Amino acid sequence: MARRKIETDKAVDYADPEPSAFASMLGGLIDANIANSPAKRKDFDELGARVGIWVTDIDEGVTLEFHRGSLIVHNGLKPKRDITIRAEAETVMNLSNLRIGLFGMPVYYDEVGRGVAAKLVQRKLRIDGMLGNIATVNTVTRIFSVR
Amino acid sequence: MGVSAFSDEWARQFKDEVNRSSTYKSAAKGWKWSVGLVVEAEPDKNFPESKGVVMDLFDGSARDITVGTAADAQKCDFVITAPYTRWKQVATKELDATKGILQGKLKLKGDLPTIVRYTKASQEMTECTTRVPVEWPDEK
Repeated sequence: MARRKIETDKAVDYADPEPSAFASMLGGLIDANIANSPAKRKDFDELGARVGIWVTDIDEGVTLEFHRGSLIVHNGLKPKRDITIRAEAETVMNLSNLRIGLFGMPVYYDEVGRGVAAKLVQRKLRIDGMLGNIATVNTVTRIFSVR
Repeated sequence: MGVSAFSDEWARQFKDEVNRSSTYKSAAKGWKWSVGLVVEAEPDKNFPESKGVVMDLFDGSARDITVGTAADAQKCDFVITAPYTRWKQVATKELDATKGILQGKLKLKGDLPTIVRYTKASQEMTECTTRVPVEWPDEK
């Protein structure tokens, strides 16, 4: 018998039967962002990458598997990530508050941006794999941003 | 001496703290949604019935904060739910509310982008709760 592909309209789905609170929150945030903004939706539709986020002060993380128009959220860090963001909870929330400026670049000169930049300099925000994936980092930041 | 936790007098003092905070006033500019805190019962902690804190917040000020039933709080635009012990941890700075939400220790219901946009305001709101001297029922 031929196997039928199950089609789903959901842009964001979860790999684990019980997504962690952090996974649900990030998945929910991205889902709402792309529903509310055609520009974010376009970024989402073009992004193919595996992104890890590790919250250092709660020892929890997720892996976001972007497949050009769909996203699977995994509890914890999974292998073969293109970039991995490691920061404290407050900084992760601030990443979602970065303003997006000209040419879709995150704004690092306002209060929130300066705070995020300072964490990068102090290495309290680490983005592993950033050098080869600057465009991916910027796209992910735009999709995260609630601004 | 502190006020009884989640009592009418506690709500009045909490509201005063929020309205005294210049940090909250600027961080919550543009906020126009109600927030409900559901404090779930823990009879073994001498907190036998769930309560609801209803916060009418508007553009950087608290217009009203009242204590009622859990059902009252659940009608708000944003609802944060946790057992009594968790709220006590938040109010005594043992638990950071942002971390608590990311860990699922506090359950948040409401539009996520909006609440994320006002992270600083919600952190200051939490700070305000810590400034109200409280008599906790499980310590009586």
